[in-house]
Amino acid sequence: MKEKAVFAYTPTDFETEKASNSYLMSLLALIAGLPLPIINLIATIIFYLLHKKSTYFVKWHCTQALLSQLSVFIINTIGFWWTISIVFGTPTITNAYFAYIICMFLFNLIELAGTIYTAIETRKGNHIEWWFYGPLTNMICKS
Amino acid sequence: MKKISYQYVLIFGSFAVLFFCLSQINWVGMFKVEQITKKTEKSIGNKCWDLFKKEQKVSDNPDAIRAVDSIINRICIDNNIDSKNIQLHLLINNEVNAFALPDNHLVIYTGLIESTENESQLAGVIGHEIAHMQNNHVIKKLVKEIGMAALITITNTSGGGEMVKEMAKTLSSSAYDRKLEKEADIQAVNYLIKANIDPIPFANFLSGLDTTNTDYSMSWLNTHPDSKERGRYIKAIAKGKNIHPVTILSKSSWEQLKANINN
Repeated sequence: MKEKAVFAYTPTDFETEKASNSYLMSLLALIAGLPLPIINLIATIIFYLLHKKSTYFVKWHCTQALLSQLSVFIINTIGFWWTISIVFGTPTITNAYFAYIICMFLFNLIELAGTIYTAIETRKGNHIEWWFYGPLTNMICKS
Repeated sequence: MKKISYQYVLIFGSFAVLFFCLSQINWVGMFKVEQITKKTEKSIGNKCWDLFKKEQKVSDNPDAIRAVDSIINRICIDNNIDSKNIQLHLLINNEVNAFALPDNHLVIYTGLIESTENESQLAGVIGHEIAHMQNNHVIKKLVKEIGMAALITITNTSGGGEMVKEMAKTLSSSAYDRKLEKEADIQAVNYLIKANIDPIPFANFLSGLDTTNTDYSMSWLNTHPDSKERGRYIKAIAKGKNIHPVTILSKSSWEQLKANINN
């Protein structure tokens, strides 16, 4: 799911801190933003916009963090509005609803674990590329 | 690009496969969701009925209850509805009103029975309320007007006080939304047709053609807007249907019912 890769250059301490913070942004917002999925995404977007013109290493990791947050946002939003429709609309809880909530929970758990791991490794100066999000970031972010 | 596509399919494909596999498990049964929902509805229904029982006079005339019950039974038997679940209550009140409470409580005011000219009109009203029950409109309305959180609070607290009063008022004196009312009307007509009851008198009752007596407080008609329009589309549905009306109550039984209500 996540692989250690070789980056174009060795980042400085300042860069590794900033890059690591991009992952931490979604974690901080997670605690404050539950159960609104949009807050995590907004926090990550703001951080990305603030560091868009930063160095390649920082920009790269801000982009990877943003792309992963986007998927989480979509999955969580579906779960959130499905729950709202049950509570305020027709109260029909189905097996599919339970299945989706469990999948959503697992996806968030894996993403959370990955984010914490990547935040730690990036701070150490290691370049971590996630499956799918890493190659996608490579396509979007050119050095 | 190939690598991205492959990894995309793997990640989100796994999510989809997991979702599909998990949705095959009977979580609803495992977490007893139906039982909890039924328990909530039963609790709310009982609290509402207790309030009405306390504030209004209940008719305990066994002949009147039996007569109305026979109309309910005819509709239920011919439409494969379990009539044992429906709890009939007659309240002594001049208002022309009938409504459903959660947990299949059917409340009919004596004013409504007095205002109907024949059993078909009464059967139409009963069919309409049964349709609301069968389609879960009662709980839907409460969730919309009062909110799920409030309903759960009422269930979990003894009493409930003002919230129960608000619920009772909502159910007895305001109509459902147009979509639900139309659904109940159409279903009522289908119930009547299957039970060999002519729906036209019900349409006339709605249009107010047969009930010009202004002595009655016409709550049931006033709270169900566009009664003339409803009468029109009920007649349109009934048109062309092969109905062979079979009476439920004999003429003397019907007159006896009216006499019992008047007394």
